[in-house]
Amino acid sequence: MVQILVYGAVISAIYAMLAVGFTLIFGVARILNLAHGSFYALGAYLVYTFTANANLPLWAACLIAVPLVGAFGVAVERILVRPLRRSMLAVLLITLAVALMVEQVLLLIFGSEARNVPSLVDATYHFAGVDISAQRLLALGGGVTILAGLWLFMQHTRLGSAILAVAQDAEAAQYMGIPSDRIYSLVMGLSAAIAAAAGILVAPFQTVIPSMGLLPLVKAFAIVVVGGLGSIPGSIVGALLLGYSETIVAFEVSIEWSQIVSVAAVFATLVIRPSGFFGKRASF
Amino acid sequence: MRMFVLSPSKMSMFSVDWLAGLLALLVLAVAPWLFASGYVIGVMTVALCFGIWAASWDFMSGLTGRENFGHSLFIGAGAYTAGFLNVNFAVNPWWSLLAAPVVAAVFSLAVGFPTLRLRGPYFALAMLSGAAVMQNLTIIFSRYTGGQDGLNGLDPIVDSTLGYYYLTLVLLAAITLVLKLIAASPWGIILRAIRGDEASCQAAGINVTFYKIASLTISAACAGLGGALYAHYQLQVGPDLFAVVLSINIIIMVYVGGIGTIYGPVGGAILLNVLTESLRVFSEYRLWMYTLLLVFILFFMPQGLIAPLWWRLRRRLSP
Repeated sequence: MVQILVYGAVISAIYAMLAVGFTLIFGVARILNLAHGSFYALGAYLVYTFTANANLPLWAACLIAVPLVGAFGVAVERILVRPLRRSMLAVLLITLAVALMVEQVLLLIFGSEARNVPSLVDATYHFAGVDISAQRLLALGGGVTILAGLWLFMQHTRLGSAILAVAQDAEAAQYMGIPSDRIYSLVMGLSAAIAAAAGILVAPFQTVIPSMGLLPLVKAFAIVVVGGLGSIPGSIVGALLLGYSETIVAFEVSIEWSQIVSVAAVFATLVIRPSGFFGKRASF
Repeated sequence: MRMFVLSPSKMSMFSVDWLAGLLALLVLAVAPWLFASGYVIGVMTVALCFGIWAASWDFMSGLTGRENFGHSLFIGAGAYTAGFLNVNFAVNPWWSLLAAPVVAAVFSLAVGFPTLRLRGPYFALAMLSGAAVMQNLTIIFSRYTGGQDGLNGLDPIVDSTLGYYYLTLVLLAAITLVLKLIAASPWGIILRAIRGDEASCQAAGINVTFYKIASLTISAACAGLGGALYAHYQLQVGPDLFAVVLSINIIIMVYVGGIGTIYGPVGGAILLNVLTESLRVFSEYRLWMYTLLLVFILFFMPQGLIAPLWWRLRRRLSP
């Protein structure tokens, strides 16, 4: 029981980090970013390289990796996505191309075998009869902290308000003097950095392989559909819902069936309430 | 965007199109005799399977503009149907050609019904996830699917390689012809109109959802048929048939050929398959080069390569 509670919370926090970035860039810039999973993979691999090859201490590796992936996100938006933004089709394809390229580069450099990323903290806590590794608790704490930070940033800074303004109406925001193009880049960088942080936090207890970005992308999509495309609170609620139901199914039924949960959730949401929990009704 | 307009002056162009199609078919029919090696015939058979997949992808996504990022879902469904029937129940392989399209069509309804009613990116994402999840499921439920190794020991539909090549060629030609005819009919015009402006189509009283789902089902059935053909040719099916990479390869072939033209993607599929085989040395970098090619085409030749070439040639031919 305690195990379900804690494991579910950890998974939900990670899912929420992924889904928030995914929904943010869609809500603000209308970019459906299929490269989102590759930011997650890049985060994990960069930390691996910095610690294993460059012998940096782990905390330093994390501090370098996150902004680096953020910068990569900005570069992708500026160079590849921006010229094609007129057509949603082209944006989907170009982000997919980025995802493939990242996977291929990782495959060429690191090969297909799984890599081990060291834990930031090594201890294991014994709590109410179950063992829980400190790394999982750190992932939970880190996730919550980052999400809280994001919320504060969005609600209480001028830049955050500017992002919200562009999300509501890009043209009107432009008339008010908000450079929406620059906001798009910023949001892309932000969402890439959050995804990279999620990748780093789970890397010690997940298999780090070049194709590790695909499943998180699928999960992020499921969460965002359940919560409502473009809504940040929606994606957090969706992450909790999916994280817990997956954990419960994994513990009570079997790991196999937990894969089906997200598909079933997407299917049910689209049939019953296509706008999700917090999505705008008007767009349907 | 080019549309077919049935005016008398353009009718002659139609016959040029027919002639070119026949010529292309003839070239493909004599190709095995020119090279006369089992290896080349094998490569060409696989290329023709890709041609079926690319044409069927283009029929739905190229015409209506709803990007399908998980075409491999239908291919895998068709191939596994063929595998199950043939390996587990020892059904005559010819039945696969009937059963695979049906199963793929059922899959397309399952994905299309909830997602194609909606506007927005739901369809593209649902297809991508659907294929990824199916690939996972084949590995998870390995008791029935053989896991990573897949199902082995399928019977070929036709025993000789040359015979199989001609079977595939005939089916490819038939599918291309039918899809092209539908695309040029009022049906196809409605599909293209949906790409242009869905809301206006709805306002004009067209049941947009029906047309989208029906065209997806046709596309899926063709892809499933291609999947069964491929499975009986390789004598093996594996989870890779559901892989996202396969869907992407098909999309790249469509873009190289020229999106929305049906015949272009077939050319793109054959061209890229033959190129891939001749560049075997770089096999590690193949996907990487494919992706670069896609980026290049998206930025510099949004019309593709093969269809615009043909348009230019046709203008030269008919003054």
